[in-house]
Amino acid sequence: MVGSVPLSVHFDVTYRCNERCVHCYLDHEDYGELETTEIKNILIQLAASGTLMLTFSGGEIFLREDFFELLEFAKDLHFDIALKSNALMITAARAARLRALGVRQVQVSVYSADPEIHDAITKVRGSFARSLKAIRFLKSQGLRVKIACPLMKQNLAGLRQLRALADELGISYVIDMTITPKLDGDTSVLALRNSAEDLLGVMQDPTLQGKAVLDDGSESGVGSAVSSGMEGDAYDGIPCSAGHNTCYISPYGDVYPCVQMPVAAGNLRTEKFDEIWRRSPQFERVRAIRDSDLPVCAKCSIRKYCERCPGLAQMEGGDLLGAYERACELAEMKARVAGVANPVSAWHAQNDGKILSPATLSSLVQIASL
Amino acid sequence: MSSETITLNPQLAWREIEGRVVVISPADSVVHELNETATFIWKQAESGRSVAEIADLLSLEFCVEPTQARSDTEELLRMLLQKGLVTS
Repeated sequence: MVGSVPLSVHFDVTYRCNERCVHCYLDHEDYGELETTEIKNILIQLAASGTLMLTFSGGEIFLREDFFELLEFAKDLHFDIALKSNALMITAARAARLRALGVRQVQVSVYSADPEIHDAITKVRGSFARSLKAIRFLKSQGLRVKIACPLMKQNLAGLRQLRALADELGISYVIDMTITPKLDGDTSVLALRNSAEDLLGVMQDPTLQGKAVLDDGSESGVGSAVSSGMEGDAYDGIPCSAGHNTCYISPYGDVYPCVQMPVAAGNLRTEKFDEIWRRSPQFERVRAIRDSDLPVCAKCSIRKYCERCPGLAQMEGGDLLGAYERACELAEMKARVAGVANPVSAWHAQNDGKILSPATLSSLVQIASL
Repeated sequence: MSSETITLNPQLAWREIEGRVVVISPADSVVHELNETATFIWKQAESGRSVAEIADLLSLEFCVEPTQARSDTEELLRMLLQKGLVTS
């Protein structure tokens, strides 16, 4: 892997949305989004810094009236473009235009094969039918489409049917077991998470744990719906690609190592991207972290079963280097599925069982008071 | 092939990163990383030079015999054509 080049950038161009998903981590008000010229200027800077893979996301990207203008601009700069959308606003004509603009993949949020459940999650009646119609438009244009489905209490039971739907549509899917706190720190949405015990069936399913590859090269399985797709063996010894080869830009120009690591390193309205990327203390700190630096997790005997996310460690446990309850629970469950007898994470062992960090405890108090 | 002009596939995503061109084809999402000479040829093709012109420049840049440069250029471009990364 090349040195610290921002190969992949996740750019949320709006937080506005035409759905109101129950698990969403965003505030959908517009507090002054970047204007068209500002975004174009940022894209020029990203290209100059070496960014190749660009993911436009939101909010709902098609709510920006200038979105196709931005896409055309990005295409002229030779980005590899992927989109994340609920697809409600994708018509046949728009699908054709996306194809002409060389968009490589469109990831569409679909929460269930049952329209009632999907619509209850999005809080928009008829959204399931509209998203499915749009997926068919995209497929008919030969575009690569992927379903993204965060698992929560409402849709876990219908997972088999969702996978069957993806198969019927001839598209891949990513099943995400992560529900994240809101970016403002509100953890109330975590009450929607399935328990580790409830996810046992998902973890025991070999067809979900592997990566099934479709003819178009796309992969299906359990993973991250927000990932840059750059995790893996290339980052041996480093917690993840955040800040190394990937970063996140908000609709207000804030730059973070990752959407799940809300540590603002600078703002593109006042600073140049390259300055933030190369010189901000926040990026330097993230880049300096090695797995071996993690005071608890580095000595964990079930570390290989753990999908610890540094950003979630910060948001849920209050410490970028620390352990957090959810990662430990899932790692113990995965280790159990793999045949490890009585697996206990280093954090749980250290605390003689499940003693929660102050931050986690505070979040649970919030949940209990709802 | 020598008088032909090669055009980069406009649907491609590509970037020069640390002196090497990296190309992604949206058709199959395959990532191609070009070596130093292939990067040189790619950039000349981008600027609209003919195959013969590219070979001459390659010969000068890398101090190789013109016949060798011509052969290497044509071989690479044939490969890129087969993969759909360029058009003639």
